Amino acid sequence: MSEAVRPGATRAAVLLRQPAFWIVITLLAAGAVRISQITALFLETYPIATITAILLFGLLAVPFWLFLSELDFLEREPPSLRILAFAWGGLVATSVSIPGSAALDNLIAKLGSPDLAAEWGAALAGPTVEEIAKTLGVVAIVLIARAQVNSVLDGIVYGALVGLGFQIVEDVVFAIGAVQLAGEGDQVRPVITTFLVRGFLAGVWSHTLFGALAGAGIGYLVVHRDRTRSHRIAVAVLAVLAAWASHSLWNSPLFRESLGDATMALLAVLIFKGLPPLLLVLYLVRRAHDREAAYYVGVLATVRDPGLITENELRILGSGSRRGAARRHAAAHAGRRARAAVRRLQRAQAGLAVELSRASADVPDDSVEARAAEVREHRATLAALGHPEAVEGTRSWRHTASTVGTAAVAVAVVWVALSALGGD
Amino acid sequence: MGRVTRRQLTDLPGTLGLPLVIAVASILAFLALGLPALDRAVPAEHAVAAGRPYRVGAGVTVVPPAGATLDVTGTRPGDDRGTALFRLGAVRYAIEVEPFDGDLTAAAVRLRQRITGTSGHQVTGTQLTVSTAGGLAGVQGGYTAGDRDGRYAVFVAHGLTIEVMVSGDDADLGRALAAIEASTSTLRYDTGPAEGRR
Repeated sequence: MSEAVRPGATRAAVLLRQPAFWIVITLLAAGAVRISQITALFLETYPIATITAILLFGLLAVPFWLFLSELDFLEREPPSLRILAFAWGGLVATSVSIPGSAALDNLIAKLGSPDLAAEWGAALAGPTVEEIAKTLGVVAIVLIARAQVNSVLDGIVYGALVGLGFQIVEDVVFAIGAVQLAGEGDQVRPVITTFLVRGFLAGVWSHTLFGALAGAGIGYLVVHRDRTRSHRIAVAVLAVLAAWASHSLWNSPLFRESLGDATMALLAVLIFKGLPPLLLVLYLVRRAHDREAAYYVGVLATVRDPGLITENELRILGSGSRRGAARRHAAAHAGRRARAAVRRLQRAQAGLAVELSRASADVPDDSVEARAAEVREHRATLAALGHPEAVEGTRSWRHTASTVGTAAVAVAVVWVALSALGGD
Repeated sequence: MGRVTRRQLTDLPGTLGLPLVIAVASILAFLALGLPALDRAVPAEHAVAAGRPYRVGAGVTVVPPAGATLDVTGTRPGDDRGTALFRLGAVRYAIEVEPFDGDLTAAAVRLRQRITGTSGHQVTGTQLTVSTAGGLAGVQGGYTAGDRDGRYAVFVAHGLTIEVMVSGDDADLGRALAAIEASTSTLRYDTGPAEGRR
């Protein structure tokens, strides 16, 4: 068995018997009470702004959520644990970080100086408290559903979801803070500005990214049991430190005033402060995804049943871009229903790979047969549509033009937003 | 029967579930409760030199009242904005400077809305014009916040708004107000060196 994946399954009944599960639920409940109190205060004073902020940032969470849910296509994390990760970030980590970060910032001013706190407080206090509180969310998931963290990619997904939950709640709090600071009553303009800056421009480089970095370390700690304990702990600590450093760099005063023109300064901040951690996480995701894909494709290769998966399908199942190309080819060849059917077939094949790996790990389950039947059913649907094999076709000019056009629009939108925010 | 290996026994999360989750809860408790307790245990008030201008931020300075201490938890000087919090006994004397592109009327409206936007706060009495020895023009007024009274003042100059908020109970405020008003009149926009720049 490859080291990249440690198969296993968590039973709900086992989960409910664990004291750790109930401690985590208690922490979530305490966090929910605290965040509800804060929200009630906001609603009482600024009802329109608060509802607007919750709606805007809630909508912002949707594409992030969908992307993260699809990131581990071959072995999707259970919805309950995805929700738990998101809730930890939004309820527990935020509840802890609000008083903790403020206290640490004060201590920097008291033990250092107010100048030090003004300049570096946000870069030292926030990351220290927040990264610890968020990382503990991934640790909590490992403790209550260990079998569901069986690859580094799982750690990345759970860490990113914890970060996403944190980011959304923190953004709402910042938006209402901006409304209060503006002193114009219950207005939505400061909410929109906060949404553009923190949600739209800074959203990609923010807590979701830092959480993914730390989660990769926890994933490594749990999965790579072939390595020594000290080695795994060192890697996990390094990953959390990388998350802290990325967060600290983002909050630091570096590049704040040195680049004259405001639009260029904003662009420089995004490139120099945000891009390095983003590239690091993309590299980790790619590497973890490829290792996991190689493992599951290897498992499916032992089946040797073209009714379940063909040689050509084995070549594309491990690659996200090739899976997408196969779906587009199906749409072009046999229509939209075929596209949906290919997607369902790929999903069922991935599920079969996971169940086969669990069976090989001596986890008693009759799910393999059920998954195999599911694959055959989708295969039959595809055959009936005249597209029996989910393979990729030749790259069309329309897809290339669409990709280039989307990228151009994205760059233009970012530039307009940078100009609007930095041009004053 | 399977053999349990040493590696399985030392598999951290698997074998230490309950103690580890208690450790997780303990770390969270330290962050949420321990750090604030530590913060409260360390004194926040620092002495400030009497009679010398103190840098609030963005080039704005003020001479603190005699006998005042600097509360570093509310003091964050900066090049383009800043805050300073002084304490004179039980009276709180806060100054905040930030970039502002409106006029004095807009700054006063904004500050009053911020006061009334805080639960239990109400603006009282009429608003009067005020000026500082350095030539800054502003307005001042009063407010109440439960059992505490307050005074506010706001100035606009050089693309900045300077907001002053004073609060304390009636008796303390009455005793300290003259010294604080004298201090407020020393507010000036100045790019020269001042106390507080390190």
